[in-house]
Amino acid sequence: MKVLVVDDFSTMRRIVKNLLRDLGFTNISEADDGSTAWPMLQSGDFDFVVTDWNMPGMQGIDLLKNIRSDPKLAHIPVLLVTAEAKKEQIVMAAQAGVNGYIVKPFTAATLKTKLDKIFERLG
Amino acid sequence: MTASTKVHVSLEQAKLLVQHLESNEQEKANELIAEIQNPINSELFAEIGKLTRQLHDSLMNFQLDSRLNDLATADIPDAKERLNYVIARTEDAANKTMDAVEAIFPVVDTLQAQVKSVTPDWQKLMHNKIDLSEFKNLCRGIDGLLTTTSVETEKMHGLMTDVLMAQDFQDLTGQVIRKVIDLVREVEDSLINMLTAFGISSDGTLESKQPGERKVGKNLVEGPIINTEERNDVAANQDDVDDLLSSLGF
Repeated sequence: MKVLVVDDFSTMRRIVKNLLRDLGFTNISEADDGSTAWPMLQSGDFDFVVTDWNMPGMQGIDLLKNIRSDPKLAHIPVLLVTAEAKKEQIVMAAQAGVNGYIVKPFTAATLKTKLDKIFERLG
Repeated sequence: MTASTKVHVSLEQAKLLVQHLESNEQEKANELIAEIQNPINSELFAEIGKLTRQLHDSLMNFQLDSRLNDLATADIPDAKERLNYVIARTEDAANKTMDAVEAIFPVVDTLQAQVKSVTPDWQKLMHNKIDLSEFKNLCRGIDGLLTTTSVETEKMHGLMTDVLMAQDFQDLTGQVIRKVIDLVREVEDSLINMLTAFGISSDGTLESKQPGERKVGKNLVEGPIINTEERNDVAANQDDVDDLLSSLGF
């Protein structure tokens, strides 16, 4: 399974990458914002996206909306891992078709639970 | 002041003044002089009045600039809170990291000690100089070492994950500090605008600088929420997020 981790902070990308590796995901690529991620998604065969919300350039919510409105990519599960915690934003992300929402700071256990849930639902 | 040139003394007034003085009517003479000087006073008063109004208006405008007021009463205290959050998070991260590392040391030491204890017999085996009882002893030692290694390395793995997770402060504090930097920039711009308004600086390059360009959805994206317990428009933690999502049928 090919995973794309999108976050403007390299430390957070490293944390997420390490946790994902611990959970058995070994094929992981990184992007530092939505506009870097978008061409990678277009040309790569990614199966899963983990993204931050607040990033310079294209934000996570816009990346999610773009993924959902692209017939080739619309099926890809997207997990938001973000410090954004306004109810308005969580509702917005749900309406945009997010598959999971983790609020920072988070734990390794939370990430595992959310991933299990996402892939269990996808079957 | 050119007001003195505007004083007009008529011939009648002069004659009347001489008359008053000659008839020793000092009081009337004084009154007459005051009357002659009156036009100067009223002009002076008008000028002072105008200046007072201008000063008053300037002060009122100054107070009415609500952004300045907000900066002083809300944004700057908020920035202080944000920076305190940075201190708390970084301190927490440093402590978490050190806690984990300190817990790893004894684990490593235990493994090292066990390796050391089986080494003499192992050396004898490697040099074909081992007898049966030493061999049995070596087997027990290796068996114990394998068990310990398996248990202890798992413990180390968990502790190392803790060290890894403690580094998440860098992302959160970085976002908070960026916000504070934006505020500082805004205060700086406001001060420059104020100086310009009071005519202290007429440097054209200052006017071309717009105070902090606003991103679309700037008010929506806020970064880490510091005062979750004082707000009801935010999720305080992951459980809140999960509850909200499940209430949406998620």
